[in-house]
Amino acid sequence: MKKYIIFILIAILGLTLAQTFKAIPFGADRRGDLENPDKVAAYYLKESPETLQTANSITAIVVNFRGFDTLGEVTVLFLAATGLASILYRKEEEDEEEVERVRLPSSSLVRTGAKILFPLMLLLGIYVFVHGHLTPGGGFQGGAIIATGFLLMLITYKHFETNHKVMVWLESLAGLAFVAVGLYGLFAYGSFLQNTHSVGTLNDLISGGLIPLIYIFIGIKVGTELTNILDILLKIKKS
Amino acid sequence: MVISPVHYIVAPLLAAFAIPLLTKLYKDAARVVPGIVLFYNVIISFVLMQQVSQTGMISEVLAGWRPPWGINLVLTPFTAFLATMISVLGFIIWLYGFRFKRTLKGGVVKHYEILQMMMVAGSIGVIITGDLFNMFVFIEIVGITAYSLTAFYRERNGAEAGFKYLLIGSLASTFLLLAILIIYTQTGTLNMAQIAERMAFVPHTMKVTALIFFLIALGIEAEMFPLNAWAPDAYEQAPSPTSATFAAVVSIAGVYALVRVLFTLFDVSGVHNYLIVMGFVTMLVAEITAIAQKNLKRMLAYSSIGQVGLVLIAFGIGSKLAVFGAIFLMLNHAVIKSLLFMTGSYFIYNADDKRLIGLNGMHKQLPYVSALFSLAAFAIVGFPPFSGFWSKFYILISASDQKMMYLIIGILLVTIIELVYYLRAVGRIYFAKEEMEDVAHRPSVNALVAMSLLALFIIVVGVYPDIVTGYLNDAASALLDKAHYIQQILGSK
Repeated sequence: MKKYIIFILIAILGLTLAQTFKAIPFGADRRGDLENPDKVAAYYLKESPETLQTANSITAIVVNFRGFDTLGEVTVLFLAATGLASILYRKEEEDEEEVERVRLPSSSLVRTGAKILFPLMLLLGIYVFVHGHLTPGGGFQGGAIIATGFLLMLITYKHFETNHKVMVWLESLAGLAFVAVGLYGLFAYGSFLQNTHSVGTLNDLISGGLIPLIYIFIGIKVGTELTNILDILLKIKKS
Repeated sequence: MVISPVHYIVAPLLAAFAIPLLTKLYKDAARVVPGIVLFYNVIISFVLMQQVSQTGMISEVLAGWRPPWGINLVLTPFTAFLATMISVLGFIIWLYGFRFKRTLKGGVVKHYEILQMMMVAGSIGVIITGDLFNMFVFIEIVGITAYSLTAFYRERNGAEAGFKYLLIGSLASTFLLLAILIIYTQTGTLNMAQIAERMAFVPHTMKVTALIFFLIALGIEAEMFPLNAWAPDAYEQAPSPTSATFAAVVSIAGVYALVRVLFTLFDVSGVHNYLIVMGFVTMLVAEITAIAQKNLKRMLAYSSIGQVGLVLIAFGIGSKLAVFGAIFLMLNHAVIKSLLFMTGSYFIYNADDKRLIGLNGMHKQLPYVSALFSLAAFAIVGFPPFSGFWSKFYILISASDQKMMYLIIGILLVTIIELVYYLRAVGRIYFAKEEMEDVAHRPSVNALVAMSLLALFIIVVGVYPDIVTGYLNDAASALLDKAHYIQQILGSK
């Protein structure tokens, strides 16, 4: 009986959603007037290349127009890592038993491949977040790629350890640097996270003012945080 | 240095990112730094509230893009008042929990303090932001911290409560995101003032669908029936300072978000009656369930839900006096319920039996804490001369102004139920005969100071309510004057 009620409720919800979203003309051009924008999307498309000199307008939105949201999202990730650590990882309390992370040894094919791929993945991650304002991708994506590289090493090698001290320092300093850039805007131009006025020229590597700088900090922070989360999750002891 | 609303968020963020480094230099940094930050928030709250009451609304532009293009933070008398309230209570709860788990080694204290501080900061963010999506981000911050703090204790059933909370909270986030998406496709903006301005042009079906999604999502955050199943478990399993924070900070932010969306964004008729009905059902069900509870913290949790129900009723009545009463009740609920959780946790800490029976004869062992608990219990039921009396009084007057006689009878009947279970608890503390050994855990000095401050507030406001009514009055007018809100934010082009 309960199952049928749930099914009916979900069906009603689905119908309502379908009806609502059917009325939204997806894919149609609804940006409105691009010269004198009254919708934020049109305004962002106009201002990203003109005022910010940023080729990737999504980056301009994420890091500048709505940079405060991004700071919030970085914080969400940071708090998720902290929360996981508080729930799962209490090494000091328990006996210092060696935690088995990998049960079966990897084949030599995997081990050799991982060794070659690892530096390349790090390089790709760094490339993605350094070029976040020019090409698709950015801090979050680059950070995720870096963390994937570490994951590969963590599950391939039994004794691969991330340098915990360096990770903590990098993570904290990157977060502090992001806030510090925001405060620079507050003190220099009177608005938190405000971009500098010298933004360079469109499509240059050094353009967009503070946008690439912030994305590099985000990349480092996301990369170290995700690696920490993976490290914690892989070290859960079976009880 | 010029003080602006963004400091509310930046100071805790700097501290949260720096604490992992600072603990390497100074062992106790994790416990001390949040206190400094929260105290700084208290100071800027009072400075900014003064500024708002003198010069009017503050709208701070972020990243240099004026609204509606960028994100803005808004301090109206209403939001400034709530932000001040949350800052003060956040600091007092920090003071209460200063020695919490200090004997545990390792990162436990560090994680706990960071999460606790960010829960308060995130709630302030929900309240001061003027941007719908930014509100979503802050609700996420509050959610993530709340889930992990609920699951903090391994030895209790914290994991189950935390997981339940996580599932329901994620559902709320999904619905909230869908609602924001619908609003954005229709209005092309995320700024709340501009959405309010353009809401008249949104097709009716879209508006209703978005409204229902908002009600589901924010109803979960505001503990509205029947979406509050997570709350009793979370309150019960979380560490006591966290339970106090849930009642005093997180539920206030949830109610604020609901009220802001309903009062400012939407212009749909009938919402007010819906709030009255749902608020009443919430209150009735919660208070009746509270009677049946055998565990003190669970009882307090249901009582919290009941109070939120009454707040929703008062907002639903919608007259200026009712909104005034509702904000007054939010203040009282936050102060009194945190005092109840603080004192109650010392009883639970010392009792052999963790159920209500464990309260028997506690007054001999913990005389001061017992007195404070009883004071808070009387205050929350609404006895004069405590502050709880005034909020209930104003809500009842506003209901009688609107000729809602059945509502008045209902509220008074529920108050009797409330009275029964609080008197039962107080009766056990004072009159039940029980041989007990000496208590093991006496309250520490910092906890005593924190609890005394709250008790002092309850008595002072009870005897002399005029110290807050001026601010409450401004807050109520600010919430109801939607045109002024829109004009102040968008007019500053």
